[in-house]
Amino acid sequence: MNFFALTLGIATLLMIGLGFVWVIRGERYFGYLWWPYVMSFGILMILVSLFISSIWVSALMGVFGASLVWGSTELKEQAVRAEMGWYPFNARKILPPFASLIEKWKAPHL
Amino acid sequence: MELNSIGLIAAMSTFVGVWFGHVAVRKMESISPTLWLPITAFAITGIALEWISLTTSHFSLSIVTGILGFTFLWDALEFTRQQNRIKNGHAPANPNNPRHARLLHEYPPATTLDLLKRDPLGKPVSHREAIKLITEH
Repeated sequence: MNFFALTLGIATLLMIGLGFVWVIRGERYFGYLWWPYVMSFGILMILVSLFISSIWVSALMGVFGASLVWGSTELKEQAVRAEMGWYPFNARKILPPFASLIEKWKAPHL
Repeated sequence: MELNSIGLIAAMSTFVGVWFGHVAVRKMESISPTLWLPITAFAITGIALEWISLTTSHFSLSIVTGILGFTFLWDALEFTRQQNRIKNGHAPANPNNPRHARLLHEYPPATTLDLLKRDPLGKPVSHREAIKLITEH
């Protein structure tokens, strides 16, 4: 029996769970306009994983990268939830560089 | 230098698993008259995928099924959470589903409107305003 993938599956579950936390907290303090940076960092992590020889490090980087890409698409909806009071709303957000430009782009949601 | 595709395979499995679960749980919870049926189907699929992952000698298949299996098991738990969202009006109810019709009757916050279907405004929005924003669009 090969327990590597089972353990990796459990690690994936934990990272997805962590995704719930960082999407909620990240949107609260930084806002949804960070989505292109989060998405780019996730894609970068997946690309870097191609050059890592350790199977554990490569796999975990891939899973974490994918959870960042997914989370980046959830930030917009989370911002709407906070506006409606379903989560605490914070008006003083730390906006990303080029926020006014990003605001004109359509934020992705799947 | 030889490329290591394990990270990419794990990334794609995670993304597809989360994406599929996200869409499938919403859709199936919306149309299913009972919750136990989709919960059982997802739990059995998840366990079957983990069994394949443990027993296959194909390394990539093992990774794909190992990750997808756990996302299916997670989705099995998400069905009750999705029903709670319906009760609270945080997700749209389907009036053609008898279970949802009952929830619409029993839980005053339940609604058929998808209140998340808009862009953020950057300020707090009242319930009345939120409805206006999506209906007058």
